[in-house]
Amino acid sequence: MTASPDFAPPILKADALTRRFGRKTALDGINLTVSDTGVLALLGPNGAGKTTFVQTALGLVRPSHGELRVLGAKPGQQSVKTRIGVMMQDTDLAHTLTGRELLELFASYYPDPADLEALIDRCALGDFIKRRYGQLSGGQKRRIQFALALVGQPDLLFLDEPTTGLDTEARRALWAIVRDVAANGTLVVLTTHYLEEADALADRVIVLKDGQVIADDTADGLRTRMGGAVIDCVTGLTDDALRSIEGLISLNRSGRKVRLQVSEAVPALKSLFELDPDLSDLGVAQPTLEDAFGALTRPSESQGA
Amino acid sequence: MANAYLAEIKAEIFKLARMPEFAIPTLILPVMFFTLFGVIIPGSRDNAPYLLSTFGVFAVMGPALFGFGAGVAQERERGWLTLKRAVPAPAAALLVAKTTATIVIASVSLAAIYAVAAFAAGVELPALVWLGLLLVHVISAIPFVLLGLALGFVFGANAAVAVANIAYLGMAVLGGLWMPISVFPKIMGQIAQFLPSYHLAEIALGVSGAAGEKAVLGHIVATLVITAIAAGLALLAWARQR
Ligand SMILES: Nc1ncnc2c1ncn2[C@@H]1O[C@H](COP(=O)(O)OP(=O)(O)OP(=O)(O)O)[C@@H](O)[C@H]1O
Ligand SMILES: [Mg+2]
Repeated sequence: MTASPDFAPPILKADALTRRFGRKTALDGINLTVSDTGVLALLGPNGAGKTTFVQTALGLVRPSHGELRVLGAKPGQQSVKTRIGVMMQDTDLAHTLTGRELLELFASYYPDPADLEALIDRCALGDFIKRRYGQLSGGQKRRIQFALALVGQPDLLFLDEPTTGLDTEARRALWAIVRDVAANGTLVVLTTHYLEEADALADRVIVLKDGQVIADDTADGLRTRMGGAVIDCVTGLTDDALRSIEGLISLNRSGRKVRLQVSEAVPALKSLFELDPDLSDLGVAQPTLEDAFGALTRPSESQGA
Repeated sequence: MANAYLAEIKAEIFKLARMPEFAIPTLILPVMFFTLFGVIIPGSRDNAPYLLSTFGVFAVMGPALFGFGAGVAQERERGWLTLKRAVPAPAAALLVAKTTATIVIASVSLAAIYAVAAFAAGVELPALVWLGLLLVHVISAIPFVLLGLALGFVFGANAAVAVANIAYLGMAVLGGLWMPISVFPKIMGQIAQFLPSYHLAEIALGVSGAAGEKAVLGHIVATLVITAIAAGLALLAWARQR
């Protein structure tokens, strides 16, 4: 544990960061330090505060209380903005400009822009780069926006739900680029509702709920923290009966189909068979990030034990 | 960064020119009306020097009101302006670029009117007067651009188009750009005192001498006051939406 000789400030540092919109508290006292590059996934249900966090980091939204420092400075300063790339959740670009014209325009803002031909190639925009933005499909528009986020060769890249509307191939391609960018010394802050995406990319996962950080771990850490196993089955047992199962962490049902999160598979299965020898369609699996996320963010009344 | 200004200007010119719903009427209408009122209608050639002065203002007003009014409102609603604030685009680049694009597009319209005036209507003016007229017409863009900007920040995209249309035609007719306000009832002449179009047209007429000797100082002062108010409005509207 030697003190780091490197006194570079953290890439992101939030101190009691709070933002209110009227009565709604979008960010509620967030404390956070991010010093390492890589991919940081920001997860959370709709309205959790992910976009508000990103917009605060961009200097578009001012904190009501507390502070957020980005690359050691106050967000929104020109010197900070030249080092940031951003793909916002809902933005429409100028419809009458072509993809290439948009790239050229944005490249002019940065001191050390990427080589445009290489970027077009890397993001596979060749087929539609000459067409006007307004005539592109939803997914093609997102891909242009992604390339715009990369054009300044950023040290810090914000991607707010980047893969919404992308087909599988385009999504995988975007993932590969994100991995590559993160491996080359950029911090990528990615918000998403696709847990699979966070699982595939994230070095660190932060889960927000009602503007608060409710988990901050690796994807593996979250799964392990969940522990145990996930049991799926079809049973006639009531919720109350199921709550007596050994080591039950959470319980989820749709009709007679039940999903149980348990701390250990074997004792739980034993007590389950004792309760209902006739159960069917049994499946036992390791918890996925999705399960971990579900257990964290589900409203408390549906949680068992 | 100089590069950023150039790129921004280029993008704005493309955007204006590719908005056919605005570009065509604002480019064609002024020269068409000028040709009609100043050349085609019998005996109208006598009016040509007068109309040259006033239609120059009309030609500049269109791109300024539509490019800024309708354009800014649309870009604001679409989140394009928000994105521009998140990236390191120089703060003044957008305003400089949009104003330049407006003047470039307006110049096409002005060139057409000047050409019709000189070659078809037989308007003869000393070179220095042509130059003075051009200067007045180009500078006219500034108050209209500011008004358009305020409009774009206050109204939503659809409303902005409607308001820009009303402002465009209203300021043209009531400002005496199509015919002298002396032909209207007195009350309308009083409205004109509040319109930048009227004062700018009077300045242009003073420069061209098309309506005899004119004292332009009062109109210059009035234009400056209106411009300052428009700048204040634009600034206020801009600050409010941030
Ligand atoms: N400009 C605003 N005015 C008023 N309320 C806002 C504003 N922006 C966000 N909010 C509110 O703040 C909360 C957080 O919103 P935010 O957009 O940050 O959520 P999110 O986590 O990005 O959600 P999603 O997954 O749906 O994108 C929501 O309740 C939202 O209604
Ligand atoms: Mg969001």
